[in-house]
Amino acid sequence: MRALALAFAMALSFVGTVRAADPPADVCVMLNNRVLGPRTENRPLPLLKGDVEHGFTPACSVAWNALSPKNDALPVEGCFRGSLLQIPNDSACGTGTGKLWVGTRWVVTSADLAKGTERAAVCQQLETGAWAGTRAFSFECKPRARDLDTGATAPAGSQGRAADTRAVSAAAVPAPAAAPSKSDTPAAPNEPK
Amino acid sequence: MTDPAPASAAPPAVTFRGKKGIVLESLLLASVALFFLNFNPLGALAVGHRYSQDLVYAWFGHQGWLYPRIPSNQQRASPERPRVVVMLIDDAALALRGAHWPVSLDFHAQMLAELEVLKPRAIMLDFLLMDAASPASTCNFLSEAARLRDGGAATYVAVTRPDELDGLDAGDCRDGAGHALKVRDVLRPVSVRLQVDSTDFVNRRYPFEDRTDEQAPGTGLASAAVRMYCDAHTDPAGCSERLRRGRAAGAGFELAWSPAGDEFNQRWSQARCDAIPSPTHAIIFKKALPAETLCPPIATLFATSLLDPSEDSSLGLRNEELFDLMEGSFVFVGGNFRGAGDLMTTPLHTRLPGVYYHAVALDNLFAFDGHPKVRKEFRSLRIRYYLFDLGVLWLLAAIYLWRQNWASGGQITAPFALSASARAWIADLVGNLPTTLWVVSAAVALLCLAAFPVLQSIGVVVVVLALVGLEVRIGTQRDLADRLKSFVLYVAALVLSLAVVALAIWVGYRWLSLPPVDWVGYLSFAAVGFFVAHTAILEFARRIDAIHGAHRAPKASS
Repeated sequence: MRALALAFAMALSFVGTVRAADPPADVCVMLNNRVLGPRTENRPLPLLKGDVEHGFTPACSVAWNALSPKNDALPVEGCFRGSLLQIPNDSACGTGTGKLWVGTRWVVTSADLAKGTERAAVCQQLETGAWAGTRAFSFECKPRARDLDTGATAPAGSQGRAADTRAVSAAAVPAPAAAPSKSDTPAAPNEPK
Repeated sequence: MTDPAPASAAPPAVTFRGKKGIVLESLLLASVALFFLNFNPLGALAVGHRYSQDLVYAWFGHQGWLYPRIPSNQQRASPERPRVVVMLIDDAALALRGAHWPVSLDFHAQMLAELEVLKPRAIMLDFLLMDAASPASTCNFLSEAARLRDGGAATYVAVTRPDELDGLDAGDCRDGAGHALKVRDVLRPVSVRLQVDSTDFVNRRYPFEDRTDEQAPGTGLASAAVRMYCDAHTDPAGCSERLRRGRAAGAGFELAWSPAGDEFNQRWSQARCDAIPSPTHAIIFKKALPAETLCPPIATLFATSLLDPSEDSSLGLRNEELFDLMEGSFVFVGGNFRGAGDLMTTPLHTRLPGVYYHAVALDNLFAFDGHPKVRKEFRSLRIRYYLFDLGVLWLLAAIYLWRQNWASGGQITAPFALSASARAWIADLVGNLPTTLWVVSAAVALLCLAAFPVLQSIGVVVVVLALVGLEVRIGTQRDLADRLKSFVLYVAALVLSLAVVALAIWVGYRWLSLPPVDWVGYLSFAAVGFFVAHTAILEFARRIDAIHGAHRAPKASS
């Protein structure tokens, strides 16, 4: 019985290890990745300060042209789990912040453009089960078994984090993303908006 | 169903004659019906009514008249009917920022900063901020809340008691302009206490406020949805006073619920969000309520999608769908942690993370323009609503008596009663058997029907077909014509009764804001026959009336 419990505990820790050791997201592995512009409907970009060891805290929000007055692309100097990008700016929010971070949700990067305009969402599920002490136990998201109105189901693992085995479902939006208009498209580096 | 025996044996009535008689008799019948409709000595009837309400929402909750929701083709919500959105934080979202459970103030501060871009109208954190945090972290959190406040978005925080946020120590925290930041200036504490129906532990009701019996109405801590709704109202104080005035300590409003999920959720839900349980399917297969709510009725954004675009690239290259969803909306931030225990049991008897309780409550307040559905038991001057019930039942009883009088006046056979010739035929058939044999046979047959439910359906079908066949075979043309007339009369009375019930439901739900639990019982009276069970009281009343007449006659003659 003890051996069984030990084996179960080892299995759980293995599951947790696999999750923690997920390879970094695409945006973090791409070489020479650059921030091309904002996608905040011209609203200020929330910037964070901090580092991996000490954690992150909000620093301030600034307009894109405060980070890149000439609308140049900004080189990505650091990346955190596909969620944060470090930019070469340590003064936009005052002194002592160190180099600032911006959320990947709010900027367009060269990695995003390389991926194209695929529209997909990772399957999610609500945690409504009554579990005890099984926080690290991870269930796979089953792929959708039937087609939605809009089309086919993407195969599991075709999108999202490389080692993430959760399925990806095509978004139930009627049309693929239209090409952004010129005024909305983040301007290419060194190109006036 | 059979009509009662004619009252030929009773002495002649005095007052119960003509139109006046029908009015008085129907009033008496309605009063008795009202009593039995509310006769609830052990609470068993209330459970049945609540379950009936759950079925009403499960089968019809997607219809606009019962729960008016924002049309799916409306991209951005209007200020009058803003959208309510749930954002769920889970372990994966925490990991994206190097955080872990319990959710720290630093993480909350980051989320507020991210949400600020989307310009929501209000944000509610359904987390108790009870874990220790450094003054610097607290200050960061307050600074973000202050920035949201300055941008026109209030930040609400869940508490269990009014002074709970006093424990947050922000040190000498100042905003960008150098003004001191105090907790009470930037955070609005709200109650997140759940109410359950004590008999089945379903979260059907949402409390107006959290207060004890000793506290006066309106002095408790307002519930999250109530405060958020009223703060957005043109007259916040008046709104709060109207909703909380004169309520009992445990009062709450009923949550209208839809079985259909929000269309936005289809992007991440594996289940269809437009699936509606079918009443017919439920009746046949006994699956009255859905097993799971895989697609909740409130638009839900997972924090992972906000923090990592690769989790959801369908929100648009320019995040346009994200802005459409969130701008001007009321955002409830809650947890989606396995084993966390913060769950609610929905009126569809499935479970959801607890944050949906508050989100649906606020959506109800917007959907019903600040007049949510409140049970009669939580109303002041509740006798008014019972008078309304009595009026409805009075009409239904009058229809029943009108049909009954018409039928008995014309000597028409009751629509579902056996004719005399059919009774005689059956009696002859059974009379050939020894009494002991047919009694024991009947007992065995009924025992089998009781033990094996599948036999009940089969038995009913067989018996009905046999009796109809018998009536057709041995009945005369005149018998059949009478039967047809009676049936038409019955259907006419039924249709009229249903029209009265429909009108009563519309008035009750739309204008009196009564939830289905308070009017679903009318439907049982629409099937006319329900009154049959109580017509004995009429026989009794007629006898009393006759005795009264007999007593009065000598006085009049003398």
